[in-house]
Amino acid sequence: MARRPLAKRLLRRQARLLEYLTSGGAIFGDGRGVHLDAALQGIDPALLHIEARFSHEKRMEKIAAVFPRTLALLGADRDAIMREFVEACPPVDISRIENARQFRDFLTACWQRQPPAPRHLPDVTACELALAQVRIDGDGGLTVNAGRTDAGPPGIRRKQGVVLLSARFDVRPIFESGSEGASPMERKVPLAIAHHSGEPRIFELAPEVFDLLAALDRWVAVDELPNAGRLLADLAEAGLLEVRR
Amino acid sequence: MTLTTVAHHCARVGIGYRSAIAEWTRANLERFDVLEITVDHCINGGSAQRAEIFDLVGAIPLNAHGVGLSIGTDAPLDYRYLDAVANVVERLHAPTYSEHLAFTRVPGRDLANLLPLPRTEAVAEMVVAKVRAVMSRIPVPFLLENISYVFEWPDSRLSDAAFLSLICGETGAGLLLDVENLYLNATNHGFDAFAFLDDLSTGLVREVHMAGGTVVRDPRLAKPFLADSHSHPIPAETLGLLEYALARHAPATIVLERDDRLDAADEILGDIERIRACVDRWSKNGHGKATLGKETVASAG
Repeated sequence: MARRPLAKRLLRRQARLLEYLTSGGAIFGDGRGVHLDAALQGIDPALLHIEARFSHEKRMEKIAAVFPRTLALLGADRDAIMREFVEACPPVDISRIENARQFRDFLTACWQRQPPAPRHLPDVTACELALAQVRIDGDGGLTVNAGRTDAGPPGIRRKQGVVLLSARFDVRPIFESGSEGASPMERKVPLAIAHHSGEPRIFELAPEVFDLLAALDRWVAVDELPNAGRLLADLAEAGLLEVRR
Repeated sequence: MTLTTVAHHCARVGIGYRSAIAEWTRANLERFDVLEITVDHCINGGSAQRAEIFDLVGAIPLNAHGVGLSIGTDAPLDYRYLDAVANVVERLHAPTYSEHLAFTRVPGRDLANLLPLPRTEAVAEMVVAKVRAVMSRIPVPFLLENISYVFEWPDSRLSDAAFLSLICGETGAGLLLDVENLYLNATNHGFDAFAFLDDLSTGLVREVHMAGGTVVRDPRLAKPFLADSHSHPIPAETLGLLEYALARHAPATIVLERDDRLDAADEILGDIERIRACVDRWSKNGHGKATLGKETVASAG
């Protein structure tokens, strides 16, 4: 094949195309009367609108899979928020969890400007993201040391993949009942989200246990924690601790 | 039309593995000859999903298919990603690795949707270099897949078949022929799908994808648009094209892709049987010696 220069710097055209396809104008507009960038001249704007819609819907499916309760609680504001999200946060990654993180970060920034409604929404969103993260991480096979390659002296640490959340509302009934209509009680609730019996679960922790788990982000010799044997056994059984024997 | 003889054997027929129906797939494993694994699910998925997939090694032949390479982006390949692919391919004992002739991202933005390339010789040359790099990194034969596309670049000068043939011919890569994509593109963009198949060199097609999509009706469009949604039974036209393709090529595997309405198990199994019937019909029809015209195939669907 004869060598030819790559016409009109393809990467620039590709970048312009993605910029356009991820814009609110392409997704929510009707493709009529659109002034296309010079790099996209000659492409049918109506077809670009269809392409933008398809791609947007796929992205929204990923986000909706992680945040069903959050989206339900957004209620009538949902469409406007989604549109704002699209404009503010173009997709940067193919994965469901990264798109979900982008959406959570966007909502968090929104709540800095305007208080969330309902007030417990940030806790619901945080729990949903944590559940998705724990679901991805799975059990991890990290419960008990048995010929592990990173074997070291006996010790314990918080199990990898456990997410700790300090919630302002007790939102667990929303997850347990499956009803977003529940009115969570406002109280400080230390939570851990972890894989337990094959499913991600939300646990309420005693404040001192929460603090202990928060501190155990590295291996600690068990004898540094005298009189904690029963507690540690319970935490390991709940999938919150891993133990290196 | 008289065809050149194709050394035929019975293609393996299976489905693309989807974790949403993992349990059902395992329970029905004997109905399939092969499963196609999306390597990105092994790379980006959770440990539970990975374990489910790797548990299948040895239970059934597994093919490796990717969606995250973006070989058509006019920027350096992601070698870290390719090394992860190589690792997965090795663990799966996959005989091939396939990817789409498309781009999905540019630095800083990832549409996660397959987009077409301008079909020019200059772009083909860029892709050829990338394909060679992939082939040097992945220890199994590399196949490129034709995508379905919504729009075309105005400077596309080559036909779909010429563009694919040029790249595959220069590199020795095979073709994963997505017959549904061919049907959709031919219908949406007004070209002859049979001529596309005629223009491919005999034996180029190593694997096949089949699927069924939906019709999008939008007042802004001059006509209804066929979308590659992997959600419905294979249309008769696509099965007809498969039969026509089997007259010219001996794909090792034919995989049904299904990503939506996965609870319609009867439809999935029904499609598998229809694909098998196509393969059987062609095998019994004289092992590539038959004269099969477009009209015959079109009416056979």
